[in-house]
Amino acid sequence: MLARSCLRSARAFSGLRNGAVHVSKRAASSSSSGANAESPLRLNIAAAAATAVAASSIAWYYHLYGPTADAATPAEEGLHPTKYPWVHQQWFKTFDHQALRRGFQVYREVCASCHSLSRVPYRALVGTILTLDEAKALAEENEYDSEPNEQGEIEKRPGKLSDYLPDPYKNEEAARFANNGALPPDLSLIVKGRHGGCDYIFSLLTGYPDEPPAGAQVGAGLNFNPYFPGTGIAMARVLYDGLVDYEDGTPATTSQMAKDVTEFLNWAAEPEMDDRKRMGMKVLVATSVLFALSVWVKRYKWAWLKSRKIVYDPPKTPNTPPRL
Amino acid sequence: MGIWDAITELVEAAAPWSTADAEAPAQAPEETKAEEPEEEEEEEEEEEPVDPKETFEEECKNSKECAPAKHHYDECVERVTNAEANGGTKEDCVEEFFHLVHCATQCAAPKLWAALK
Repeated sequence: MLARSCLRSARAFSGLRNGAVHVSKRAASSSSSGANAESPLRLNIAAAAATAVAASSIAWYYHLYGPTADAATPAEEGLHPTKYPWVHQQWFKTFDHQALRRGFQVYREVCASCHSLSRVPYRALVGTILTLDEAKALAEENEYDSEPNEQGEIEKRPGKLSDYLPDPYKNEEAARFANNGALPPDLSLIVKGRHGGCDYIFSLLTGYPDEPPAGAQVGAGLNFNPYFPGTGIAMARVLYDGLVDYEDGTPATTSQMAKDVTEFLNWAAEPEMDDRKRMGMKVLVATSVLFALSVWVKRYKWAWLKSRKIVYDPPKTPNTPPRL
Repeated sequence: MGIWDAITELVEAAAPWSTADAEAPAQAPEETKAEEPEEEEEEEEEEEPVDPKETFEEECKNSKECAPAKHHYDECVERVTNAEANGGTKEDCVEEFFHLVHCATQCAAPKLWAALK
């Protein structure tokens, strides 16, 4: 086996060598005879034809694949939300926890009647939005299934901190039935789950015009909202000035409530943001210290090499005549 | 580990921010956050809250910046309402409305954020 493979490789090698020889021969012969045989006119024609073929192939390609067909009108796409200067999205800023508290109040008093927040437990609210006692009291307002008792019956118990926020509907069918066939999405990850994030949520909540623009078709049971793809949204405008009484006395304008609840939903989607930014800061501090250290260590280690001096000392033979 | 703990404790003691304690009975935990003072200065006490977004956007719609969009929108509304009165049209002003709203919100966004808390 080994011998055969050796033989084969040897043969291949010799073949390669033969090939190389042939190629060099052919190249030599073509360069000696080719230039004189072609007239300049035929060369020009060939070049022009090749260029024409190249250009027309590009044109053909563009004709076939160039213009993209947009199936969606701007109305179907929806108006792209304006970028707002969110403070909590800056690199070294945290959530404004006062705003989170207001936003949670808006969620509880307004949104929670239709939208669930099923991935947020009460314990997550402790220390970020509510105090421990407030969160416990809030949890106890709702009833949850307990473990089966001796007869196997499942009894209800008041909520604990480890329970999750209750859903407004029992299941999706109930939600659709109550909302004319439309399903209110769960809001736990809505900021991450929508193109445009916070800007989209804020724009959607505040963007309902007083009346749809002239000629716009609004389906039955739908409301016109420019930011919703298709512009027909089942959710009606819910935020109106003065709807909520903020406990800290902030004027509850529509945009203030929308801003607070959007920031709260951003917190619900990424509650780790404050910690993440602090961790990032720690990484920056540690790596900058290490980098500075490494620069100093490098200077120390290379000092002998950088500060050496190479001197050529010619032999002292004053009697030798200079070479010419 | 021991040295690092000492360093973090030193840094925490010296830093202007500090960790909020959830079980603090007297004050809410969010009162110790560092970012708040700069955002509280715009607070206004009003009897009837007026949405600053609508006033700013109305100003922006009538400003010079959005004049072309507003011109197109107004013209479209006039054309479509006339056509509807004469027997219906398939045209709508959604696209013109988008351009106008986009211009107005873009212009109002920084002012609005300065006014909101």
